[in-house]
Amino acid sequence: MNLRRAVLSAVMCITTLFSATQLFAADAKSTFKVGVITELSGDLATGGNITKRGYDLWAQEVNAKGGIDIKGKKYKVELLYADAQSNPAAGAAAAERLITQEHVDFILGPYSSGVTLAVAPVVDKYKIPMITGSAESPLIWKNKFKYTFGTIPPINFTGAQSIKTLMEMKPTPKTIAIIGSNDAFSKATAEAYKTAAEAAKLKVLKFSIVPSGQDMTPLLSAVKSMKPDIIAFGGHDEEHVKFVKALRQIGYTPKGLLMHCGITDKAFTDAVGKDGNQIFGTTCWTGTAKTTSKILWPNAAAYAAASQKAFNNPGDYTQGGCSAAGIAFQVALQKVGATPGMSEDMRTKLVAAIEQVDVQTFYGRVKFATSGEFFHANVGLVPLTIQIQGDKIVTVGPKASQEAAPQYPMKEWKSR
Amino acid sequence: MELLPQALVDGILLGGIYITIAIAFSLTYGVMHVIDFAVGEWIMFGAFTGFYLNKWTGLDPFIFLPVIFVMYFVIGYLVQPIIHRVLSGTKGNPFLMGLVFTFGLAIMFRGLALTVFGYYSNSIPSMFSEGSFNFDNYGISITIPYVRLVGLVYALSITAILHYMLKKTNFGLGVRALAQHKDAAGLMGVNSKRTGSYVYGIYVGISAMTGVLLGCILSIGAQMGNEYTIFAFFVVVLAGMGYLAGVPWAALLLGMVQSIFMIYFNPSHTLLAVFVILYIILLVSPRGLFGKGV
Repeated sequence: MNLRRAVLSAVMCITTLFSATQLFAADAKSTFKVGVITELSGDLATGGNITKRGYDLWAQEVNAKGGIDIKGKKYKVELLYADAQSNPAAGAAAAERLITQEHVDFILGPYSSGVTLAVAPVVDKYKIPMITGSAESPLIWKNKFKYTFGTIPPINFTGAQSIKTLMEMKPTPKTIAIIGSNDAFSKATAEAYKTAAEAAKLKVLKFSIVPSGQDMTPLLSAVKSMKPDIIAFGGHDEEHVKFVKALRQIGYTPKGLLMHCGITDKAFTDAVGKDGNQIFGTTCWTGTAKTTSKILWPNAAAYAAASQKAFNNPGDYTQGGCSAAGIAFQVALQKVGATPGMSEDMRTKLVAAIEQVDVQTFYGRVKFATSGEFFHANVGLVPLTIQIQGDKIVTVGPKASQEAAPQYPMKEWKSR
Repeated sequence: MELLPQALVDGILLGGIYITIAIAFSLTYGVMHVIDFAVGEWIMFGAFTGFYLNKWTGLDPFIFLPVIFVMYFVIGYLVQPIIHRVLSGTKGNPFLMGLVFTFGLAIMFRGLALTVFGYYSNSIPSMFSEGSFNFDNYGISITIPYVRLVGLVYALSITAILHYMLKKTNFGLGVRALAQHKDAAGLMGVNSKRTGSYVYGIYVGISAMTGVLLGCILSIGAQMGNEYTIFAFFVVVLAGMGYLAGVPWAALLLGMVQSIFMIYFNPSHTLLAVFVILYIILLVSPRGLFGKGV
């Protein structure tokens, strides 16, 4: 009797477990598992967490609308995060884990170029499509990874615009000193500025790449003695703060100070205060950009408002690029009619569909290059030059997008 | 060569920063024989304490240095017995356990800071942050930022106070005895546990004050600790592990190498130059610059 009861209980347990598994499986099939590899800790945690905000906002908005509409049925998205720890090797390992253990359908990519360069071969190996909403180094696109795409144009696509804007200033700048931090993105930024400066006949007095995170005061003392009209710097958020403080401390105010990445985030102006005023920056999107879209957010202002509501921060071009990466996937999934749990064949079709994406979003036009040096990078956007004016970030170039006249030369540090 | 005077001054000022990072680290190694990988994180916690005290009160962060020292002295005093317990174990390799323990502490502190303080970089404003002393005569041009000068003065003051404490007080005598031979010191009446706690408290207090200074000169962030731990380690190894008097010289040498290399050679190879010099010195004198390390 006892044996019979035990057997019966075991059968019931197994049946219940099996049903629950089936239920889960059914639930999983109605949700896209989206892997996200980004820098949630380590030196690049600021940028990594900005990308997280962008991906989160996209997922929240998609799920709030019931999911992605594929042939009349809505599929929600679930983001599965893996911390790259600001370390390329950790990023590659995280990608491997998300693909082989979590069986993600597709991947939203890292913040930094260095980690993206390490993750791209892994997604190519497993044939999992990845769109990154951040990394800007031209190296990523020169490698022509089949499964990697990016919504932010590479710095050699956007950087020239800022130099062009500065060359329109009066009196016309004649000399420039360019410094870059020694990581894939920052180095590429410095090189892009150098190429653009030389093309614009701006005399490059100094071009230096320094180890990441170093105190640059001795180098800036040397730059000060050369008295360049413009100083351009390629680095990340914390380095920008150090750079501005070092210039302030040695008491050298160039006529124009150009930076990239991170200065469009409110945190930069919070950290440097009035010293951030009149700094120029390179970007491809602001919350006041004139864009129109039929997907998720009708324009840039609506996106900025949604971000403000969700994170008490209007978001910058990195965050926006990440949300736009989600939208690009959304459009491609709808085009091929892909559903969760995609086969390899379907993922290949998805890559082909991403290549054909040409859509107007709150971020502007998203269209990926399918050949040349920008292979799989978004070339649909117009590069912008921005300037911090008071507590606002305004577009000052090109003229067609100008929101305010650029302020030049910069006000001396000591008279601020 | 017109940049040489400025390069030398920048090197000294940079060296001053390295002294502040490494001096207390060396002291604690000398006494407890533990390489505290959490040194950068104590610096980071101190920096954030200064940041918030400044934000809440609007007062200059340098005013809070004594408060921060006392606060972190108490924390260090309370944490030390845990490290002491790890180090005084009889099984396995206590030295290695100590290394692993402080390494774990550093990771935990970093994660905690990321959760509590967030991921943004910040800066601590001070009345010293903005101005500089300028000399422009006889074809020589030198700029000395006030805040870096304050840093150098702070570094030299801490060095002098520690030197006085070690050489001229009974407590210092006990610390030196403990550093030389723990058991013999115990037989002479030195309470190794309590002295160790005081030393660790002093070290954590000084590191926290250093964080405020670094926040005024450079920037602060939850992940800032790592790079300072590395530099503290460099300086202490170069000075000779646990040899306090060597720290200022080692720090100034590293600052000078970095400054001159950044100006006259390829700045991207600055750290390589620092490593090469460190290796050469250690090859010639494995116990540091003066051959007096442990």
